[in-house]
Amino acid sequence: MQRLLNKPEEYVDDMLKGIYAAYKDRVTYVEDDMRCYVTKRKKEGKVGLMTGGGSGHLPLFLGFVGDGMLDGCAIGGVFQSPSAEQIANVTREIDSGAGVLYVYGNYTGDIMNFEMAEELVDFDDIKCLHVKGCDDVASAPKGEEDKRRGVAGIYFVIKCAGAAADAMLPLEEVARIAEKANGSVRTFGVALSPCVIPENGKANFEVKEGEMELGMGIHGEPGVEVCPLKTADETVDYMLERILADLEVKEGDEVAVLMNGLGGTPLEELFIMYKRVTEILDERKVSVYFAKAGEFASSMDMVGASVSVMKLDEELKKYLSTEADTPFIHQSAIQ
Amino acid sequence: MEITREDIVRFIKKASEEMDANKDYLIELDAASGDGDLGMTMSKGFQAGAEAGEAFGEDDLGKMIFKIGSAIAAKVPSTMGTLMGSGFVEAGKALKGKKSLGAEDFVSFCQAYYHGVQKRGKASPGDRTVLDALKPAADAAAEAAAAGTDDPKELTRIAYEAALSGVEATKSMAPVHGKAYVHREKLAGVPDQGAIVGSLLYKAWAETF
Repeated sequence: MQRLLNKPEEYVDDMLKGIYAAYKDRVTYVEDDMRCYVTKRKKEGKVGLMTGGGSGHLPLFLGFVGDGMLDGCAIGGVFQSPSAEQIANVTREIDSGAGVLYVYGNYTGDIMNFEMAEELVDFDDIKCLHVKGCDDVASAPKGEEDKRRGVAGIYFVIKCAGAAADAMLPLEEVARIAEKANGSVRTFGVALSPCVIPENGKANFEVKEGEMELGMGIHGEPGVEVCPLKTADETVDYMLERILADLEVKEGDEVAVLMNGLGGTPLEELFIMYKRVTEILDERKVSVYFAKAGEFASSMDMVGASVSVMKLDEELKKYLSTEADTPFIHQSAIQ
Repeated sequence: MEITREDIVRFIKKASEEMDANKDYLIELDAASGDGDLGMTMSKGFQAGAEAGEAFGEDDLGKMIFKIGSAIAAKVPSTMGTLMGSGFVEAGKALKGKKSLGAEDFVSFCQAYYHGVQKRGKASPGDRTVLDALKPAADAAAEAAAAGTDDPKELTRIAYEAALSGVEATKSMAPVHGKAYVHREKLAGVPDQGAIVGSLLYKAWAETF
């Protein structure tokens, strides 16, 4: 695949320079480190909310920094965790005395660095709590949810946590709502091609022509099954069957749906898939309270998509329904 | 015995040299069961650690060791970089305020280093990880110090030899974590690259004196 870039090793820094230039009224960085990304519209007194993770997933992670969502984000190299020090620097900047909630994906490297960052800011008396996104149904069986990877469904977790923090709730309460959202969302992804990491220029796994991998992770982690390429309808049937069974969605339930592209799949195809999502939900008499299609957690140039479903109750609806606005994402208030 | 600031500078520079000298070997081992970047990250990380150690101007050796750990973790936030950084950070906390280190303090270093890595990575001894070099080294140092060994050359040699036996033992261990687990069938008879990193750390201690 042909790409537009300069020096591969400057991929992340070049990208960040572009983002800071484009959104100079909205975001900036601290400690002279472009990878310590923070909002310019910090709201004093509220719980600080941040995430962090590897580059290569835009708009995840930094794209969720903005009004009604996150206050900051520590950015790693492509598919690499940011350092504990970078996380600690963002933490110190966004804390305004009410503590900081970390919401990030359930990956070993990220967990270690967020835990170490918490120890580093302990000296500054900043209280931190952690919520680890673990929505990927394909990555571990039911009953072992804490082993699952975090993927696109983290959008809902961050959205609800952001609204709770904006409502000036205390740290423990924001964490409880984030954890509740996290426990209510499931995602299933499929990949039709690998992705190429700019620094080494190679795909670190393979998806053969005419095949697809069901359940593949956003860094190319092995999925549950490789099969001949299915139609959009057949693919969605497979994905939703696993999500709805795992989430125990039943007739009369209300859900939110996120139709996510992995980077190389056009929006048209996402809506072709979403058509089937609504057919299945209608058939099961499950109503859709909110839906959004686009790219939320991508994987560079990977061709593929994921579906996330969040089961709602009145409390989650309250926090999901408020307006959110970042340089990358706009969600209108739901009336 | 007395380990001084200068000894610690010598130790961390030795460690950096060892990681450098074994860079290709570690890359080769890691390519078979991991990302293939271990040699690179350890070389870069320990170099940053050595620079932080040399630049440290105060006399609190615990803080110095803490700073070395922070520098390694900041330079290479990969799994192993964070783990090695965490070991130094924990050891630094254990030795806070010390202006020179005796035999018991060296044992504290070894034990806290092990605990720091264990707490961060949540593996157990026997899982075919760096812990399988760090734990035998800490145990052997504790035993020797309790039996009266007070010569730093002797004490660090005992720790290093125990770490090497630990590396040897990983050849017959089955991995349970990360990418090594996926490649477990290919690993019989091959030492764990993480454990080798642990042994190089103790090699550096042994060669400091």
